[in-house]
Amino acid sequence: MLLFRSEEPRSGSQSADHIDRWCKSWRLERGAVLSLEQAWKLADAWYRDRMSAAWRRRSVDEAHELFRSLGLTSDFWRFS
Amino acid sequence: MAADFNNRVRVRLYELFVEAGRCPSKSDVAADLGCSVGDITESFAALAAAHMLVLQPGTGEVLMANPLSAVPTPFVVETQGSNVPRTWYGNCIWDSLGVIAMLHADGRVVTSCGCCGESMTVGVRRGEVVCQPPGLVHFALPARRWWDDIVFN
Repeated sequence: MLLFRSEEPRSGSQSADHIDRWCKSWRLERGAVLSLEQAWKLADAWYRDRMSAAWRRRSVDEAHELFRSLGLTSDFWRFS
Repeated sequence: MAADFNNRVRVRLYELFVEAGRCPSKSDVAADLGCSVGDITESFAALAAAHMLVLQPGTGEVLMANPLSAVPTPFVVETQGSNVPRTWYGNCIWDSLGVIAMLHADGRVVTSCGCCGESMTVGVRRGEVVCQPPGLVHFALPARRWWDDIVFN
């Protein structure tokens, strides 16, 4: 998961935005794009208790529920 | 019993990582817990099989104790501790924000645009996120493929 500039390319530079250009260079389809606020909420929910002895790896259903609570409801966010 | 031991190893690994500011070796964890390196090797392997750690292929030492990376990456995470700033490496932008979340700190991620390499900084202060220059996070692979190649991902 990488961070990309979201500004429009400067005049005279290559067309397409930074994510599309990266996808093209790696011959990958464009995946899912999150705002920094969404990414922070996901990171906070996913990792805030990772050092706790009570932490357990989420089940698939629990992970899907977490994604759903953050508005990530497409098939992209399904483990199965 | 094995699951309890593996969880003890997992928690102590993270604690030692955060205390020292670098990833402990198998020997470090074994010495700390008063067990053999072989015990830790088995435990690390079990944790990796359960997708709780990622190991270095040659040595079986830790590569990723997510969100922390044991080796330098293009994602430098700076957190504000109680007294002094601390520096870490994240595995990706999600994990880098995860380091700040896991340590319950304010902090920032110093990295660069995945496309053009321009310097970018993401600051988190009291849960508010500011990215300079403005940015977006891209997940290239769908969730069902995350563990196909976790290092690429």
